[in-house]
Amino acid sequence: MTAWTEAASKEQSEKFLGCYRKLGEMLVASRPDVLVAITVEHWTNFFLNHMPAFCIGRADHYDGPVEEWLRIPKARVPGDSQLSAEMLAACLDGGFDPTFSDELLFDHATMLPLHFLNPNMAIPVIPVIINTLTTPMPSPKRCFAFGQFLGRKLAGSEKSVAVVATGGLSHWPGEAKHGKINIPFDRKFLDTLISGDHAKLSAYSHEEINVEAGSGGHEIRTWIALAGALPEWRAELLAYEPSVPWATVALWLSFIVHKTKERSQLVDHRSVANMMRYKQRQKAAAIRPRPFVVSSDF
Amino acid sequence: MSLYQLQKLIYHVNRDPSQRERYRQDPASFVKGYELTEEEKNAAVNVDVRKLYTLGVHSLLLRPFSLLHKVSNEDYAQALAGLE
Repeated sequence: MTAWTEAASKEQSEKFLGCYRKLGEMLVASRPDVLVAITVEHWTNFFLNHMPAFCIGRADHYDGPVEEWLRIPKARVPGDSQLSAEMLAACLDGGFDPTFSDELLFDHATMLPLHFLNPNMAIPVIPVIINTLTTPMPSPKRCFAFGQFLGRKLAGSEKSVAVVATGGLSHWPGEAKHGKINIPFDRKFLDTLISGDHAKLSAYSHEEINVEAGSGGHEIRTWIALAGALPEWRAELLAYEPSVPWATVALWLSFIVHKTKERSQLVDHRSVANMMRYKQRQKAAAIRPRPFVVSSDF
Repeated sequence: MSLYQLQKLIYHVNRDPSQRERYRQDPASFVKGYELTEEEKNAAVNVDVRKLYTLGVHSLLLRPFSLLHKVSNEDYAQALAGLE
């Protein structure tokens, strides 16, 4: 969306930016101490010599975006190494064994939503990276359980934590099938997500995602993890807008607003825009009173 | 066939500004640092999108690599035409 802003129609671009602005305002208004980003990466930190299923960042700061063609300013994002360490300790004590990293670069998947949602990078961020890039990947069932575990841990934190999940729905980025979108798959997934059908979310198989949603569709694991992180999931889809204004251009927008009791609010937002089926999305979830979730992809 | 090495080269160019600069200044010399076949070396030096794709380079390594070389979406799609 930032790389090829002019490729989408002005109306769609404005709609996209408007939604991002709204979500950013909601996020800032919720005044989180920390933003946990359930995210993916695209050969930015990890390669085939060492590919973790789950990795939690433990750095004091993260730099990005790594892509010089993304056309958003480079920024240093503060971390919260103390909370990262607490999360890691809880995981290893509780049956999950993520790797950790004291140096991670952010690519578009993380930087794009932060660019819009975290102005001036004022809110510290903890990245939780899921391998959705290359097989074998953690199962949707495991992603849900991992999200559930993290949600419980963060709910007990002294800090107010917002959770942002970022990733795409169906897309085949950079492949010969680029440009394809499986709208029925996306719709069904969104319905399942919104209805809070945890059993169905966990039951997605790698093969089903691979065939129906493509290599990029594996990123729905972040959404599934997010659903796990939210104790009460009542979401509303604000927008899902697939379109192909040019032969090779696609832009999707979907926003989900989640409302829990009282003042709690969860925002789940996703958007995708690109000429090659790259997507942007965001989900945000509120774990503590008034927190959120946002997600994004490129 | 040394797909691992070929992908590693692209990974380095994509993510590391200093290696990217070395590659840009002298790609033929840069690729000698990897255990590649002549076919793979040529594909990496010439940014032969179709060849790199058919050799098995991951699409999310290849597309960013091609973007560094200003390969437009149309040209990229054209390079892969018929491979679906």
